[in-house]
Amino acid sequence: MKKKLAALFAAISTIGVASLAMATEAAAPAVAGNSAGSALALAAGFGIAIAAFGGALGQGKAAAAALEGIARNPGAASKIQTPMIIALALIESLVIYAFVVALILQGKI
Amino acid sequence: MSEHFEWLTHFFGHAIEHHTHVFGSLIVLAFLFICAVLVHFRYRNPQTELVPSTKKGLTTVFELSVQGILDLMEGVMGPNARKYLPLVGSLFIYIFVSNLMGILPGMNPPTSNVNTNLACALVVFVTYNVMGIRELGFKKYMQHFMGPIIWLAPLMFVLELISHLVRPMSLSIRLFGNIMGDHMVLGIFTALTKIGVPVIFLGLAVFVSFIQAFVFSLLSMIYISLATANEEHH
Repeated sequence: MKKKLAALFAAISTIGVASLAMATEAAAPAVAGNSAGSALALAAGFGIAIAAFGGALGQGKAAAAALEGIARNPGAASKIQTPMIIALALIESLVIYAFVVALILQGKI
Repeated sequence: MSEHFEWLTHFFGHAIEHHTHVFGSLIVLAFLFICAVLVHFRYRNPQTELVPSTKKGLTTVFELSVQGILDLMEGVMGPNARKYLPLVGSLFIYIFVSNLMGILPGMNPPTSNVNTNLACALVVFVTYNVMGIRELGFKKYMQHFMGPIIWLAPLMFVLELISHLVRPMSLSIRLFGNIMGDHMVLGIFTALTKIGVPVIFLGLAVFVSFIQAFVFSLLSMIYISLATANEEHH
């Protein structure tokens, strides 16, 4: 069983690397305007992905704190809700800055 | 991205394709003006101008929203809130209605262009600086930039200057990114699943429009109250 898995893994990695190499060869003449097009595309994709990851962590913490506060004191729910929305919007604004930079990079490909 | 249909370029031609946000703002202004005219006669009549309206209608919407904004401002800014209500209330209503225009099929919200947002943010920037200088005097206002300890003043001055200059940029880019991203997501999901699922994204668009207008006006209030804060209030 282990030998079969090892063989399967070797086959998949070989095909993967080969297709990656062929893709980079084929991509060079296909780039329209910018010679750094593949780097820009990678940067845009990874930029927004990492920003979304960090933003989700931050917003999760804020929402968890707000929900715990509401659970302790259900009467103060509406007083907790407004600052929670403000905090979520401010944390999200950092993700939006990264998104705007990713859009600018994507436009330059 | 593929060509999207837009009513304004359909009627006025493709020459105005880069200027549709100006026409969109004019449409928002026309809408708010018509609403104001419809409500105007109630407040001109000496018998009905003092009593809040109890019927369902446009006047109730106006009164509720202005009262809501004033309550929020008094919570954040304290007793001076009334003075800044025209600016912050207008910003809130204008940005909210501009964002909501993105829900109509075929319309581009004017706030999905950085220029509209930068105009609003620069107005807030100039206002809080001028009001800060007017309330506190030039020397005391500059002391805000120096920081608490006197020999850290050069470093603190540069840091505070940069953070102040970033404020209008952050206000406009936050609004731009949220509204344009939301509009793009709505367009993509409507093209992908044509029936049913776009309703969820239309609801999200209403929510995001309100929250972004709220956050913009809340941050403007906070900047103004920070700039005009008297030291005796500590």
